[in-house]
Amino acid sequence: MKPHTQEAQAPSLSATTSNYNDSFLSFQAKTDEEIWMALNKGNELAFNYLYRTLVAPMYRYGCQISKDKGLVKDCIQNIFIQLRKKRGTLSEVHNCKAYLFSCLKHEIFRRMKELRGEHLEMMTQEDGFPICLSHEAILIQKEQECEKVKKIQEALDQLTGRQRQALLLLYTEGMSYQEIARVMEFSEVKSARKLVYRALSSLRQILKY
Amino acid sequence: MKYSEYDIVDFLLDEFFIQWIKNPDQNNRHFWEKWIQEHPEKRGLVMQAASLIRSVKYGDDPEITDAMYVEIFENVIKTDSEKQRGSVSDGGNFSFFNLKNMVAVILIGFCATMVYLQMVASNETVISPPTEEVLITRTVPAGKRAIVTLADGSKVFLNAESELIYPKQQSPDQRWVQLKGEAFFEVEKEKRPFKVLTDYSEIAVLGTAFNVKEAHQELSVALVSGKVHVKDREGNQYDLAPLEMLTVDKAGKASKSGFDVLAVTGWKDRILVFQDDDLEQVIKKLEHWYGVDLDFSGEVSATWNYSGTYHNENLENVLKGISLTSGLDYRLEKGKVFLYNRNK
Repeated sequence: MKPHTQEAQAPSLSATTSNYNDSFLSFQAKTDEEIWMALNKGNELAFNYLYRTLVAPMYRYGCQISKDKGLVKDCIQNIFIQLRKKRGTLSEVHNCKAYLFSCLKHEIFRRMKELRGEHLEMMTQEDGFPICLSHEAILIQKEQECEKVKKIQEALDQLTGRQRQALLLLYTEGMSYQEIARVMEFSEVKSARKLVYRALSSLRQILKY
Repeated sequence: MKYSEYDIVDFLLDEFFIQWIKNPDQNNRHFWEKWIQEHPEKRGLVMQAASLIRSVKYGDDPEITDAMYVEIFENVIKTDSEKQRGSVSDGGNFSFFNLKNMVAVILIGFCATMVYLQMVASNETVISPPTEEVLITRTVPAGKRAIVTLADGSKVFLNAESELIYPKQQSPDQRWVQLKGEAFFEVEKEKRPFKVLTDYSEIAVLGTAFNVKEAHQELSVALVSGKVHVKDREGNQYDLAPLEMLTVDKAGKASKSGFDVLAVTGWKDRILVFQDDDLEQVIKKLEHWYGVDLDFSGEVSATWNYSGTYHNENLENVLKGISLTSGLDYRLEKGKVFLYNRNK
């Protein structure tokens, strides 16, 4: 959202926004199970909350799997339509974000299969999920640090797409290993940790220097 | 394995550590701040791991547009209400308006959320206190310190030779104070943003603990916990993460670094810290801390420096401490301190 649109919107809405912030904050304090249960019971605010907080991360995640932005958009739309349709009979969910990420991935694969046939399914997983080290966030105090960041970047580019995906879910999305296991379909949580461990091991030499 | 035996990869793998960086809360913050104080030798390693965790970003980062955001939502609701109309058949115009309302509601909600989420990073920074506002000014002379508790419960530790101006009642949508000099803030977390205005800069936060010092057009902001957003006099903007310090010098050159929590914020707990300070710094600190004039005669070697920590000590004891190891002697006379070479 661009700053000038904010300026234009904010003053005229100020009377109403506080209410929405209140409901926003009240859901923020709830556990995922509670939000999901409220959604299942038909609570519109719960639906709004999930949409508001998760649609942007879902879109970004989906775009890593398919470059077709229109397709990603359709898939997200479809997932939310299904969610509303199945209210009352939704099965238990412990983590909304991980669950919806996983739904989105399946939906994108399903649509890609429909469009292009079976064999292309896994293609994007291996070279996808590029990572870019943000220089703003890194403290570069010396010249040699700059060199090091470059080396880390190169090493990250050498990782597999799945390894990079795990790092992004862990560090950028702030997910736990359990959630990562959920999204990446590991039956055991420790497999997710192992995947991250292997990715970091190949960085160890550079990091220690 | 113990945290003290961790290498960088161990930190990068540790969920509790990552949580502190990504989603700091009272528990993990308390633990890690204490831990770092206990293990100062590990601070460099921790900082390195933290900055790497923070720097990992999507290489391909498309943002959802407002148009797309609204369109998806509208389509979802429309599909849902069409389905319902099919079965219940009393919808008509009502459900049409209902749909429009829903879209308006979600759009307002979205804007509100974005404004809320970006509050600390907002570009809109005009602060104009309403005219009927009662402003309180608190001035602290050299040699004194003060603690101010604001209406919202936030605490401000004011250092010597500093001034704080704040409204008696904060407005319902924002909190602000104006600062000259140095202060340590413990800001109560709430949805109203909290702004610290200095002569040249502006710091925006939601709830956090940090130190601000602006003297001779030099700004330094040191963040202990939470998150702050700094806008310097050139309009440059910076986000700080815990244990990062931003320094902007007179020329406007900015740099980020780590900092020693005790050396930077110890003053608020009445701890006077000298850390490899040269004579000029020692004199300046003593004058500032005790509000005295200090006269030095004689000379010291170019490599002379002094380190020491004093908790709530009076001036005489600190002078004793310094003279014990430094080869200098002192004399107190009519509120003035004379510092001189012992052998001359």
